Amino acid sequence: MTRTEAVVTTVREGVAGRTPLRIAGRGNWLSAGRPVSAAKTLSLGDDSGVVSYVPGDLTLTVRAGSTLAEIERVTREHDQWLPLDPFGSDDGTIGATIATASAGPLATNFGLPRDLLLGLEFVNGLGEVVRGGGRVVKNVAGFDLSRLLTGSWGTLGVITEVTLRLYARPKVDRSFAVSLEGSEKSTTALLRTVAASQLAPFALELLNGAAARSLGLGDSAALLIRLGGNAPIVEVQLKALSQVARTEEVEQSTWTEFREIDRGAESVIRISTLPTRFLGTAASILADTQPRVVISINPRRGVMRLVTSGGGEQELMTTVDAGIPVSFPTDGQGAGTSVIFEKLPPEVWPVVSPSVVSDPLSRGIKNAYDPHNILNPGILGD
Amino acid sequence: MTPPSQLNASAVADRLAEIVGDRHVLSRQSELLVYNSDGLPGYRRQPRLAVFPGTRDEAIAVVRLLADEGLPFVPRGAGTGLSGGALADDIIVVGLHRLKEIISLDIDNRRATVESGVVNLRLNKYVAPYGLLYAPDPSSEAACTIGGNVAENAGGPHCLKYGVTLNHVLAMTVVLPSGEVVDLGSKSGEHDGYDLRGAFIGSEGCFGLALEITVKLTPRPQTVRTLLADFMSVDEAARVTSAIIASGIVPAALEFMDGPTIRVVESSIYAAGYPKDAEAILLIELDGLEAGVSADLEVVRQVCVEGGARNVKVARDDAERTKLWQGRKKAFGAMGRLAPHLIVQDAVIPRTRLSDILETIHAISEKYGVVVCNVFHAGDGNLHPNIAYSADDPDESERVHSAMVEIMRACIDAGGSITGEHGVGLDKIGYMEAIFSETSLNAMCALRSVFDPDRRANPGKVVPVHSCREWNAVASARGAASVREPMPLAAEPARPSARSRNLESDLWEDR
Ligand SMILES: Cc1cc2nc3c(=O)[nH]c(=O)nc-3n(C[C@H](O)[C@H](O)[C@H](O)COP(=O)(O)OP(=O)(O)OC[C@H]3O[C@@H](n4cnc5c(N)ncnc54)[C@H](O)[C@@H]3O)c2cc1C
Repeated sequence: MTRTEAVVTTVREGVAGRTPLRIAGRGNWLSAGRPVSAAKTLSLGDDSGVVSYVPGDLTLTVRAGSTLAEIERVTREHDQWLPLDPFGSDDGTIGATIATASAGPLATNFGLPRDLLLGLEFVNGLGEVVRGGGRVVKNVAGFDLSRLLTGSWGTLGVITEVTLRLYARPKVDRSFAVSLEGSEKSTTALLRTVAASQLAPFALELLNGAAARSLGLGDSAALLIRLGGNAPIVEVQLKALSQVARTEEVEQSTWTEFREIDRGAESVIRISTLPTRFLGTAASILADTQPRVVISINPRRGVMRLVTSGGGEQELMTTVDAGIPVSFPTDGQGAGTSVIFEKLPPEVWPVVSPSVVSDPLSRGIKNAYDPHNILNPGILGD
Repeated sequence: MTPPSQLNASAVADRLAEIVGDRHVLSRQSELLVYNSDGLPGYRRQPRLAVFPGTRDEAIAVVRLLADEGLPFVPRGAGTGLSGGALADDIIVVGLHRLKEIISLDIDNRRATVESGVVNLRLNKYVAPYGLLYAPDPSSEAACTIGGNVAENAGGPHCLKYGVTLNHVLAMTVVLPSGEVVDLGSKSGEHDGYDLRGAFIGSEGCFGLALEITVKLTPRPQTVRTLLADFMSVDEAARVTSAIIASGIVPAALEFMDGPTIRVVESSIYAAGYPKDAEAILLIELDGLEAGVSADLEVVRQVCVEGGARNVKVARDDAERTKLWQGRKKAFGAMGRLAPHLIVQDAVIPRTRLSDILETIHAISEKYGVVVCNVFHAGDGNLHPNIAYSADDPDESERVHSAMVEIMRACIDAGGSITGEHGVGLDKIGYMEAIFSETSLNAMCALRSVFDPDRRANPGKVVPVHSCREWNAVASARGAASVREPMPLAAEPARPSARSRNLESDLWEDR
């Protein structure tokens, strides 16, 4: 029996007994998403390994239970990498990363999981094996099931295999911190300069005091930037940056620590909006010198993340408040802000957020792919 | 669903005219000839009616009328598609080229919202003064619409570095075949819930009409350098392509043209100054920050020289660059003049397999006595083998078809895909079962049924009807045998008329 067949068997048993399944990778992120009521856990944590890797093609096909660390190890041997660094650790599985559409700082330059995924295999809620996309870098054959499954949180199918686009490892890859201890006005000026510049960083995050402190970058807000590519390209960018700010080189491991900033968090909220909205508001959000909420802003992606640990509902309201100037501006630009709850205390879920898949199309798709509601029931709300 | 034969065309035309005005409904067969093919002239299907809404509201009203009447329809942009996707077989064409408003441009956030009929190049010209560009650049950019690009998930030479349409569309307003209007995606870029925008992109007109599309814009690169490398063998050029990709440098574009293509282009009005005696050229573009580009340029030049390039020439200025690109972009146009019909494939293969697949293609062309020209997006492994021929010659047609089927087979066997950017449409529907299992095809049908439960939007395209479990269940409940479509494997013998022939060459030459 192949490993995919084993998943098929489990799902079919679930269907036959009408026993819902909790789909799990290595279980690192199980507390995220809305509470799931399932009788049994279907774990893909052991279903790992390379299915096909021809380095010259810069594509990699792996089983969904492969960890990001494993992918890192395999690709590094050929001086390549998968530039996908979701929050959390590299101990997470690629299947879960795709299923939750989780991205991290590198998305600034390399895009979201949807941009790196070339094809996949999954088992739907009827226990059927389905493939979408393929193993080549460009493909429009058939409707796009790869995008459909990305971010579906396991509710449409159990992802068993994925094919990803790889990149060559940059010749140079360096990271720098800029302390934002000046006035709000000077911070805003700096952000505007960076926004208007030709800088093309691999990653760029603004950290509030709490975030900077937890990374050992001092007590003030800070800008964390990663520059990569060939030597001249890193050099010119660094020079340009140094002209407007005092930069201090930091270890690459700072990013690893940054991605683990959620560890033990009670709630994680992501706000996605037009990038310019942060130009005006970031400085004041970052100015709070005694912040209780850990905030990071990616001004290129137009994303702010708010992380709280403990404090329950009260703390949560503070968190949401911190996001308010950005999420509900009155600048007449119309809609275009999404507040995404990645993780909340279980008791808070029903209060703050209704289902995110309640529209007729989403319901129709769920019904078609998992008519018995066997897969992760409730994780996206009902 | 009302079968076309029962369609009271003139009554429907009258009601459509009430919505869009008399001038924008066509019902005479002679007028409809223009719409009987797309960019792939081998296929012809005569529509019953064509309607051209001038506003989004009109488009919605048209779709609602068709929904009320249960009438099937085919969305159409500029009709440059290369898979027969926009063909309407005795049903209604809903043409969207009049929806050409650029609704808003947000320079600072680098995004634009446009109506679906806006022509790709027009958007690019519109945003250029602000130092921005819209990255997906199909070679048909001068004519194709953003709506058509979304429907096909179009690519283009620069997609090697910048990604295809799906990587550049943030949100859409869509009218579903039921007439319901929905917003998909999010203008801010990220949202939770299912990626319905992602599901819609590449749906080839089967999920409804895109009315309004919000796209990401990209800052113009500081520097662009274009190289022309020529080779005395196809194999060397193929190996150099693989070597550049393997080096880790991501060129903005990496295009391939073989000897026969070079000679056709050079003897046409699009002559770009390619060396006529070369067996292959690579057109390589690098862009980004000046310092980085210069360093990469040296590496690429060296890879070319070591790989056997006879000459490596770098365009000195914009004029030279434009000329080099013109030859590439108009190559199909030049080819179209060789013979009345042109058939183009769009398979994608793993990039390490380029050299052996090109060799296989050559062997196949000899076996069938046809001339295959290769001009394609080599950096992505996206082949476009094409053959100019006359569909009026049954023997030649037969050989062309057999050669194309064999080429496709070789690409599939190499682990490739049947289409990288042109879509399945009518043209490649016969290959879908060669790359997808029954359950996979059924999952695609199920997705389509959610968007279009009555199967009225672009029926008969993309997924073979007989592989759709649910539909077959309905058919057998009605006592009908399961539905099987004709599945042409390549262009069918056409019935070219003098009139349509002219239109067609206009289309090709427009680019
Ligand atoms: C010379 C030449 C070169 C080309 N080069 C490239 C290339 O480099 N890369 C590439 O990707 N393609 C290329 N193409 C193919 C073609 O131009 C693209 O597929 C383009 O995206 C089609 O746009 P269109 O507006 O002409 O669409 P049409 O041909 O009118 O329609 C194509 C499909 O889209 C659907 N459709 C159109 N508008 C809408 C809408 N608003 N809502 C929903 N569905 C819609 C139609 O039903 C049909 O299925 C080329 C074509 C030619 C003739």
